[in-house]
Parts: sequence; C-alpha cells; structure tokens
Amino acid sequence: MALLPALDTDPKINAFRAEVRAWIAKHWTPERRAEHRKLPFKLRGWDPQFSREMGKDGWIGIGWPREYGGQARSPSEQIAFVEEMANAGCPVQAHNTGESIVAQALIGHGSPEQQAEWLTAIRGGERSFALGYSEPDAGSDLAGLRTKAVQDGDHWVVNGQKLWSTGGDKSEYVWLAVRTDGEVKKHAGISVLMVNLRSPGITIRPSMAMYGRTFSAVFYDNVRVPACNMVGKVNGGWKVITDALAAERVMIGGSRMAGLQRAFDHLTEHVKTATAGGKALRSDPLVRDRIGALAADLEVARQLLIRNTTMVEQGRVPLYEAAVSKVFTSELQERMGQASLDILGTGGLLSEDAASAPLGEMEQLLRHSIMGMIGGGTNEIQRNVIALRSLGMPR
Amino acid sequence: MVHSHSSQAGADGLSDADRQLLRDSTRDFLASRWPSASAMERVGDAAAVTALWRDMAAQGLSALGADPAEGGLREIMLVFEELGRAACPAPLLGAVIANMALAGAGKAAEPLQQDLRMGKAIVAASLGAFDGDAGAGKVACRDGKIDGMVAFVEGSLGATQHLVFTESPAGVALVDAGAAAVSIRETPGLAVPSLAEITFAQATAVSIPVAAGRLRDIALMARVACAARALGAAQRAFELAVEHAKVRKQFGEFIGSFQAVQHKLANCLISLEGTQLVLRNVGESHDKGSEDWRVFAAAALAFAGPALREVSVQTHRALGAIGYAEEHEAPRHFRRVHADLARFGGAPRSRAELADYLLGPLA
Ligand SMILES: Cc1cc2nc3c(=O)[nH]c(=O)nc-3n(C[C@H](O)[C@H](O)[C@H](O)COP(=O)(O)OP(=O)(O)OC[C@H]3O[C@@H](n4cnc5c(N)ncnc54)[C@H](O)[C@@H]3O)c2cc1C
Repeated sequence: MALLPALDTDPKINAFRAEVRAWIAKHWTPERRAEHRKLPFKLRGWDPQFSREMGKDGWIGIGWPREYGGQARSPSEQIAFVEEMANAGCPVQAHNTGESIVAQALIGHGSPEQQAEWLTAIRGGERSFALGYSEPDAGSDLAGLRTKAVQDGDHWVVNGQKLWSTGGDKSEYVWLAVRTDGEVKKHAGISVLMVNLRSPGITIRPSMAMYGRTFSAVFYDNVRVPACNMVGKVNGGWKVITDALAAERVMIGGSRMAGLQRAFDHLTEHVKTATAGGKALRSDPLVRDRIGALAADLEVARQLLIRNTTMVEQGRVPLYEAAVSKVFTSELQERMGQASLDILGTGGLLSEDAASAPLGEMEQLLRHSIMGMIGGGTNEIQRNVIALRSLGMPR
Repeated sequence: MVHSHSSQAGADGLSDADRQLLRDSTRDFLASRWPSASAMERVGDAAAVTALWRDMAAQGLSALGADPAEGGLREIMLVFEELGRAACPAPLLGAVIANMALAGAGKAAEPLQQDLRMGKAIVAASLGAFDGDAGAGKVACRDGKIDGMVAFVEGSLGATQHLVFTESPAGVALVDAGAAAVSIRETPGLAVPSLAEITFAQATAVSIPVAAGRLRDIALMARVACAARALGAAQRAFELAVEHAKVRKQFGEFIGSFQAVQHKLANCLISLEGTQLVLRNVGESHDKGSEDWRVFAAAALAFAGPALREVSVQTHRALGAIGYAEEHEAPRHFRRVHADLARFGGAPRSRAELADYLLGPLA
C-alpha cells in the first residue's frame, strides 16, 4: 500500500474492520472475484445473490437502529465498513440505494406496516430500488417536477416521465417523486410512492452513461400504484426526500473517498515500479510533484469526511459541511484522473479492456468524476448552499 | 502559560476548553495591544515591538515551546494563527525555536531561557542549512566563533540575540546581537516586516549541541507555525471580504447576491476549512506522540501553500480597489500569507517530502 498513514487508530473500529474482512474473505473469495471481474464493466457491482448473502448475515442496514433490525453502528464504523467493502470490490449496488436512501426515509416517515414489510425486505437484500427524481424539466430544480399522480380508490394513477434513473433497468422498485397537487407552491404538492417497475404501463429505456453503466428514462402511462405504497403524507413528500438525502450525503462521501484512496494507491504502486523511456517513473521530478500534490489533497478530503461523520455522531446534521466535502472530493477525483493522464502518457487513455494498458482504471476514474460533480446536487448548487447557508450571502 | 483546568487533558496536555480560552485571551490581548488601526505605522517600530513582547511574556506567551506540558504544537499553532489575524509582527518564531532547541541544554542555555521567559530577550532565529531554501545560507562554527551568511531571517527588528542552526557540529550557535562581528542588512520585499540577511565574521558564539534529528523536527514545527500564521491572516482577510459582500451595493444589488462573488467566497471557505482541518491534525498527532505527524505536516504544508494564496487573491478581488490601498488591512494579510508560505522551500518541498514517503526517496 502506498497511502498516507491511517487515521482511525481506534481499537474498537479496527476490531470491527477485522470482523468485516473475515466475512469478506469467506464470502467474496478470490474465485468469485475473478468470476465477477469477467463480467463486462456495466454489469459489475450489481449482484442480487451477493446482496442476499450479506442480508442473511446481517450486513445490510448496519447503521439502522436496533428496533428496525440494524446494528446501530456509529458513522465511523459505517465508513470503515464502506471502505472495506470498496477495497475488496464487493458488489453492493443491488441493495445500497434501498439500504441507505429508501430505508432512511422509511425509518423517519414510514408507517409501522411499511416499516415491517419494506425494511425487512431491504435488510434481507431482497428488494432493489432505483431513484425516480429527475425529469426533462426538473434537474437542479427538483421541485419543478411534473410527473402526476391522481388518486383513484385505493390506488394512485401515475402519468409522466422520469430521466437518468441509475439502475432503473435492473431494479424491482422505484422510489418515485410525483406531483399530487398542482395548485399550491411547488414544494408543497409533492408526494413519494414506491412503485413496482414491472407494473403495466411502465416503459424503461436505458442509455449508457459515460462512466460505463446505464441510467434510464422511465415512462409512466396510467400506472396503478397501491395507496399503501405512499411514504409520508399526501403532499408531504418534499420533507421525505430532503431528509433521506441529508442522511445519505455522508455515506456517499465515504464510498467516494474509499474509491479515490484505492485508485491513488494503485497509481502510486504503479509509479513505484514502472519505467518510461528506460527511466524509472518514480525518479521523474514532475511525477513526484504531482503525486505529492494529490496526496495532500487526499488528506484534506479525508479530514473533511471525518468532520462530517463526527458531526453525525454528535447528532448534528452537516449541511454546508457536507457540501464542502462533496465539492472538494468530486473535484479531486477529476484532478486525479487528469494527473494520471499526464503521468501515464497516452497509455493512460487505455482502459482495462486493453491488454497493454498500464493502469486501465484511471481513464474510467476521469470519466466517472463528472458524475460526481453533477449527481446528488451539482457542485454549483453546492456552492450556492455554502454561500447562502454558511456565509449568509444575500439572495 | 495557561495551566490545565480540565481532567480530560491528561497526557495530551491542555484540553480543548483550555485551548479555546487561550485563543480568546490571545485574541483579546492582541486587539487591545496591537489594534489594526495603528498596526501599519507601528510595523517597523522597534520600541513598540519590544514593549509588546514584554506584555506577551507577562501573558506567558514567550515561553511557548519550552515545556510541552504547558503548551505543545497545538498551542503554538493557535497563537501563530492569532498573530496572523492581527497582522502582528511579535517575535514569537525566534522564541519558539529557541525554547525548543534549548530545552534540556543545561547551564549554558539558562540565561537566555530566563530572559525569554521575562520578555527581555528577542531572538532572531535562522535555520541555516536546515532552512530548506537553497538561498538561506549557512554558517560554520569552530572554537567559539562563527562565520558565514544567513538570509531570509525574520525578527531582526529589536533582536537581542541571534540563534543559528549549525550542521557540524549539530546544534545551535547563540550570538549577541550587539557583537561587533555581526552585520544585519534588511532585505525589503513582499514580507512586512522585512526579512534580513545576517553576516557573521568570526563572531563570538556559544555553541549548544542539539541532535540533527531534533533540529529537523524543530524546523518542521517552525514551518507549521508559519502556515498557521498564514491561515490566520487568510481567514481574517476572508472575513473582511464576506462582510464587504454584504454591505457593498452595485447595480442596485449587494455584490454578495452575485453568484460569481458567492462562488468565489464558497471556494475560499473550502480552502480555509480544509487547511484548518489538516493543520489541526498535525498538531494533534504531534502532541499525542504519533510518529506520523511529520507526514501529516508535509500534507498540510503542501495543501496550504497554493490553497491559501488563492484565498488571498480571491478575497482581494471581492474587495475591489478599497482593499488594495496599503492603509487598508487586507494588503498586510496578502503579504503575510505569501511570505509565510513561500519560505523554507514552500509547498514544492512539501510535495517532494510526500513523494519521498509514498515512492521512496530518490537515490
Ligand atoms: C450518472 C448520473 C446518474 C444519475 N442518477 C440519477 C438517478 O438515479 N435518479 C435521478 O432522479 N436522477 C439521477 N441523475 C440526475 C441528477 O440528479 C441531475 O443530473 C442533477 O440533479 C442536475 O440536473 P440536470 O442534469 O438537469 O442539470 P441542470 O439542473 O439543468 O443544470 C445544468 C447546469 O446549470 C447549473 N445550474 C442549474 N441551476 C443553477 C443555479 N441555481 N445556480 C447555478 N447553477 C445552476 C448546474 O449546476 C449545471 O452546471 C443522475 C445524473 C447522472 C449524471
């Protein structure tokens, strides 16, 4: 490993890490990893069978309160968990939207019946979710969404179109934001439905996003959804959505950070041994300067993440702090991708599919960085949040 | 110095609450003794600096670095940050370096240690061969005499003592400022007060052995302290810009409502908080006895260099012309930030140190 010294030297967390590693060693074996690695990139990371195994042994929802079947793990433990899973390349995507966004919302806003059914299924790795927020005319301005739901007896009837749903072509359910009142102020007329993506009237059209996986346009044509699948009150959806996002930001930061550390580790390991034009790459002063700069930035990203987890641990909600961390870390990913191209030269363009690629993952890292700067609230919107909420700038 | 009030402090030295007290009292002290309104004209006034230093000694601040139990690297950084905020040229860097280098040195060092504690001595320290800048010069020390030239020395204004790091033998040489064979030349520039060049021609010196590794650590702590001072200066300049953006109107709007200004300031906040957090971790890991503090220091210095410079420039842009007049407070902070971050090899050296750690040193 070529990384800066570890920061979490807390013996309790290290013991927990060892426990997680032991489980991973048993279930995510070298043979299984090799099998998974043979899949095309777009299919990797999503493995319902693996999710069920995690669920069976209690590894989904480790941060949830015990009364909902969780382990009430602290944020630092959750980050350690996310890191260990990422370092081992475990496929967690089939369950993690349900686990961290939907479940957070259900714990805060779901009825006891919903909690009993849905949390149990999510925790077992049995129910996968996509997010249905964005629309053709609702991106950053999410509250401008128009997909409409009208009540009809004990059902809601949904019509409209959503865009960019990650995992929309693989998931069983979508966590759908709909307009249930068009007459009031836009934030006040939104509700949330959990919709089975196999329902009649749904058309799913995937397209390939530049980072190498799909997102989908989803069309709703008189789709009937049981009224008991509404989470929170009718027209109370905005709060349900924003609460779930706030809870999620820190964990997204944790997995982004784990990915970056891993890529940086691979980059430095490569530089240590590779040659360019007959000379050791590590002896090139420009290469050393770039590596030093990235290491310093990574240390900052790590400290920003720790601040957020510490705040959550103290029961505070990192609002602008989460925005600071998101902006810095996603832009660091871009810098790291760019630096890799400079360090690796033209070879840096080659992907892992090219046998002669010096380090095939780095060009993907660069493509992926744009997703980090757009998704989850663009970095411009994050900067607005920082300026308005933290600095008190006039509107 | 502040003594620990809290049971949690224990082996770690002072508690967070103690540090907050120290920060508040230092800030109040500097606001009354070195108010920003008169800071400009007093910056080159040796008598004013000497008087200020006596008062700082009465507050216990001149003993920083002497005894880790009374204040470790965290406390040193904190006071430097406050000096940066106040654009105060108090001769603390020399004192801290001397206190650290002389700790445990025995009899030969006692008079100076005593004078430092009382605020009678003002030390201009140079790190010589340990400075990290190729132009910093060095001295040779033999038979109680030193020879050579050192450059980029801060705190020569009103100095009573010179302290120079020596390579062989490893240690520090102490020379009276009034000694005949010492000449000081101010070297004006971006740094205010000016740095100086000091030439020793067979000057009488007391030579005190200090292990080379310890000298390197002290030099690294000096770099960290200067980065903390730059952070204080950048932070204060940023606060001026934020306030300005809330009151200055153009085109009928507060300039703070323009997104170009908002995003500039948001970027500054990210850099300031990032620097603050990494620096805090340096102090903490040092004071808790972790070997890793040196790597964290390299990371903090490598980040702070470019980040705080950018903050400094961007805050000036938000302030417009009013902040560009030398009688405004902001130019002092601009000067401070750049001077403190360019010294000792600056960020490029710290990046090289990180590369050494990650890739192994160059043969
Ligand atoms: C890979 C990927 C996966 C995604 N997955 C999902 C998903 O699973 N489910 C889902 O619902 N959505 C998903 N999204 C959509 C994502 O949430 C939106 O892209 C995001 O909210 C931005 O909306 P937009 O793309 O329409 O851009 P716009 O909102 O149109 O923004 C375009 C540009 O204008 C800027 N801008 C807009 N408003 C302001 C303002 N007030 N101030 C300053 N600048 C502004 C933006 O910052 C941006 O630079 C995904 C996006 C990507 C890239």
